[in-house]
Amino acid sequence: MNARIQSQFGEIGRKISRLEAKSKVTGKAKYTHHLKLPGMLYAKVFRSTVAHGRIIKVDVTEAKKVEGVYDVLISVDIMKFIPEPYYGPAFLDQPILAIDKVRYVGEPVAVVLSTDPHIAEYATQFIEAEYEELPAVYDELEAMTSKAIVHDELRPSGTFPDLKHLMGKKNTNIALDYHLKRGDVEQSFKDADFVFEHTFKTQQVMHTPLEPMVSLADVNLNEQHVTIYSATQSPSFVRLEIARLLGWSENQVRVIVPHLGGGFGAKLYIKLEALVTALSMIAGKPVKLSQTMEEQFYTITKHPTTFKIKSAVNKSGKIIGRRCDVWWNGGAYADIGPRVTQKSGFTAAGPYDIENVEIESYALYTNRPPSGALRGFGIPQLVWAYERQIDIIAHELSIDPLEIRRINLLKNGRPQATGTIMKDAALDLVLERLATRMNWSSTHPKRNGSIKSGRGIAIGFKASVAPTTSTALVTINADGSCILSMSSVDMGQGSDTAMAQIVAEVLHLKSENIRVVNPDTDSTPYDMATLGSRSVFHMGNAVKLAAEDAKNKLKLLAKDAGLGEDYAGPFSDIFTKKYGMQAGTLVGFGAYIPSYTPPDKKDGSTTNATPFWMVGATGVELEVDSETGHINILKMINIVDCGNPLNPAIVETQLSGAAIMQVGFSLTEIMKLDNGQVTNASFSDYKIPGFNDIPIAFENEMIDSYQSNGPFGAKGVGESATFGVSPAIANAIQDAVGVSLSELPMTPESIFKAIKNQHNKRAGA
Amino acid sequence: MKSFDFFEAPSVEIALDSLDVDDLQIRPQGGGTALMLMMKSGVYQPSKLVSLRGIKELRDIRLSQTGELIIGSMTSLSEIEHSELVRSHAPVISDTMKRLANVRVRNIARLGGALAHGDPHMDLPPLLSALGATVITISKNGRRSIEVIDLYKGYYETALKADELIESVCIPNLNNSRCVYLKCTTRSAEDWPALGVALKLKIINNHFIDVHIVFGSIGEVPLEMKQVQDLLEGKHASNDTLDAACELAYSLVEPSGDALGSAEYKKELVKVYLKRALVQAINHEGAVK
Amino acid sequence: MKVIGQIELKLSAANVYSKLSDARFFASCIEGVSNLIEKSPNVYSATLETKVAYIKLKFEISVEIIEKVEPSRIVAKSEGTPIGMVGRLVSTSSANLIEKDGKTLVDYEIDVSLTGKLGSLGQPVIRSKIKEMEFQFTKHLKQAFNLAEE
Repeated sequence: MNARIQSQFGEIGRKISRLEAKSKVTGKAKYTHHLKLPGMLYAKVFRSTVAHGRIIKVDVTEAKKVEGVYDVLISVDIMKFIPEPYYGPAFLDQPILAIDKVRYVGEPVAVVLSTDPHIAEYATQFIEAEYEELPAVYDELEAMTSKAIVHDELRPSGTFPDLKHLMGKKNTNIALDYHLKRGDVEQSFKDADFVFEHTFKTQQVMHTPLEPMVSLADVNLNEQHVTIYSATQSPSFVRLEIARLLGWSENQVRVIVPHLGGGFGAKLYIKLEALVTALSMIAGKPVKLSQTMEEQFYTITKHPTTFKIKSAVNKSGKIIGRRCDVWWNGGAYADIGPRVTQKSGFTAAGPYDIENVEIESYALYTNRPPSGALRGFGIPQLVWAYERQIDIIAHELSIDPLEIRRINLLKNGRPQATGTIMKDAALDLVLERLATRMNWSSTHPKRNGSIKSGRGIAIGFKASVAPTTSTALVTINADGSCILSMSSVDMGQGSDTAMAQIVAEVLHLKSENIRVVNPDTDSTPYDMATLGSRSVFHMGNAVKLAAEDAKNKLKLLAKDAGLGEDYAGPFSDIFTKKYGMQAGTLVGFGAYIPSYTPPDKKDGSTTNATPFWMVGATGVELEVDSETGHINILKMINIVDCGNPLNPAIVETQLSGAAIMQVGFSLTEIMKLDNGQVTNASFSDYKIPGFNDIPIAFENEMIDSYQSNGPFGAKGVGESATFGVSPAIANAIQDAVGVSLSELPMTPESIFKAIKNQHNKRAGA
Repeated sequence: MKSFDFFEAPSVEIALDSLDVDDLQIRPQGGGTALMLMMKSGVYQPSKLVSLRGIKELRDIRLSQTGELIIGSMTSLSEIEHSELVRSHAPVISDTMKRLANVRVRNIARLGGALAHGDPHMDLPPLLSALGATVITISKNGRRSIEVIDLYKGYYETALKADELIESVCIPNLNNSRCVYLKCTTRSAEDWPALGVALKLKIINNHFIDVHIVFGSIGEVPLEMKQVQDLLEGKHASNDTLDAACELAYSLVEPSGDALGSAEYKKELVKVYLKRALVQAINHEGAVK
Repeated sequence: MKVIGQIELKLSAANVYSKLSDARFFASCIEGVSNLIEKSPNVYSATLETKVAYIKLKFEISVEIIEKVEPSRIVAKSEGTPIGMVGRLVSTSSANLIEKDGKTLVDYEIDVSLTGKLGSLGQPVIRSKIKEMEFQFTKHLKQAFNLAEE
């Protein structure tokens, strides 16, 4: 059922400005960067210059002598306070400071503390580190069989239920392997009219939030307590993990999150928090670590991938079997890579109705900076492969690219590769809407001359992560004003505003009058994390339940005060009547965890893979300068299914933001490594899109749909406009100049080379 | 970044007094945009920066009595971009400014600093070289004039001495010349040039006269293509001539590959962009004086 | 980055080899090398000072000759720490000598990589410097061999 139910009260669907907009543009919004505590020390990290090696010695004596240096610390100092200083959401594989081995260039090895950050930086050059170099491995395919083993031993963390089964292996770089088997794929290759096999690759990139990571820890050993101020997307997880590291209870760790200058998945789980906590503990003073943009490239990145896709296709264009082998380059530490490998892994065959599917998805360790969550969470890498191949197949079989997708697209009621029946996923509506907006049925004019034009489409989907827990508190004050407390982090995606709209709708208040407090684990209750476009659905449901709970409690209070359950007057009356004056507080609580069935260990099947699907499609019209390889995107259209949008204005910016980010990953961004060293770790040479890189006509639309189990029919949308961007561009390039690109980024030089090779091949033939 | 002395000189004389011909760690600062990148990367650690931003006499745009355009070295790139005088006398410069770096950099960066920086991937050095511009420098020994094409010796290396400042840049009267600057970027739109081609030439009775061609981002210094200039000189502005010139340029040029493009790719770009620049000049599409 | 080249010398391979494997002779052909100390057979330390325009660079280098096949092949591995910043320079240089008609062709290959600040933000500067150093080195080497001839 895809009916849009209009908001009864009128707060849902309002295009109000973000609640914090004025503060942000007038420079009043507070970020972790602003915070200064008395006696605070600044930390500067000394990093490994070797990609893989045993630490022979780290000599900090000269650095300690530098005037103004408070202390210089290495892992043995940390281990005096935290004997097992390893963290990680999937494996406890990442040490706070390198112990015994370094596994990538840029890995933190030592830290200088000083009241002056410039002195701290200056002193790092006096630290002498000696390594016994070991062979290093950088490529994911090589890592499968390489003798260079990054981790000798793996310890699963057991924190998250979907990763509880992790065991890892020994003497291997495989952190996780995920398998899905449905039907008989080998037989389908024998039965089919055609078999197509292609390999696609994607590159390592970084989120580059304009606010680099920053954390400040204030340990009070007298009170056995630590307050951590951090630009983090997951305050509840940070509290849990720091408590575990210290052997403390959760109530001894307080995590406070001011505004975030962008996250995109970079600021998740533990990044700097364990380090600053350990440092503050040792130094006895607050310690702040503020990273530079360069250092972000050494902290967390996006998985490079290799995807081999083999499809059995009948001459009608129907795909009857598909085998997907995906290798994810996780870098030196697993971070959340295993979840990417698994959760994205099961959609590797695409949003298509295919009887026989086999998926092998591997998370590999290599000696690159670690890879983790980045907007899309593995989906863009998969869509790149399956949406490129289906276009190539269409081309080979002389079938229209839209038609071949129509023939194969999954429909609601049909099983996806895991066996889960599709529900509330408007794949067909999104595809058709894109076709209409692209004017696909009319022939696209071809051009003479060196400027060629082409168009392309692509569609992808993602399963929301599950199972996860969200809780929220809605507080009504004696004067009837309302406070929303939740640990979802507004990192610029507008979650505070959207959640306020939910509360306002339930309680018949105005969204602008709802106070949303910034996350503080002492008062904002548990949330799994702000990631994977989960907040609107998961936290939104919790917030709605909390608001409804508050509403019910108000009814009971009104009855108790003698006003009657159905009292329709202002809330303040109820309090005054009950308490005799403006006094009292009423709290509503909501908790939400969706149902979920974990995948079968043998064949990866499950009847309940996810509580909701995200759908996104992109269409592109562009020009290719065939003499130089430059492209000019004339038009980009992004269509998504996000259910019923809570705030259509914010959703539109989520769509354009996601698409622009993916344009950068498609055309200009790539981390270049030389012997493990990132050689372009700055905006001088790592180019992200600016205003002049945005397509000339740039349109974003949400189709009319309704997520039946979402709050007011809403569901997540932060990543949906990333899915189809890269393949749509490549498909348009193929349409324009006939070259088939299989690697990212699609630079003018790579396009030029492809055109030249094709020309030479034709000349040769 | 190590700490350093920052001195705002109130006049040219005092600025010159603060520099030292033998001390490489003391440097004059214009806008500081390029210098800042080098200091942040730790590659350059000065002991003292002598800022010229307080010296008003260095910041102006005027016409000389003989019709040359004189721009003071501390004029910001933005001021040059929006100057009516520049637009009427050298519109190719105004147009080039629109794609130079980005607006935030142009608001701060100064002409003198841009020319003294010596990074091969810049727009103004090849353009001003082709226009026949000269820099007037000043030091305790007096003034001298250096043609922009002769200013560059290597990576970050110029003919300027450590105690010498660029005072102004002099652009000759571009009477009846057609001037074109084409910039090729290969990453984001606002980027260093992967290749820049600057042209100044006249077309009289459909023949090329007084041809100047300078490439930027090809090697360590701007490259004046003398043989190609000679090939075009006096020739009929026909397609065959253009193709011959581009083939010659392609065969002669030996670019260094870098982050913006491989050597082979840059070679191909030379051929394509030279042709496009020449066609633009023929069709009056470029700036015409 | 890789630097590959070839020099032709009017001497026998044995002659060229003995000179090339002499650390002092070799170091004398590189501009800016000082303080050469033999730590143990085939292991040396030195200071390298160089500049690019107004940018001064100073490295503490250690060199180890890891392969010696008389008179046809020498391979040396060097590691340098820049003074004044965190970083590392690692280089492997190999020279293959082929004798023909009394002349010797030296095929050399130098692989340089930089890590730390120098490697992340100082790349273009270093690349240009390495090329210049290669040019200077081959020039000095030829001159030195010409002198040796006489």
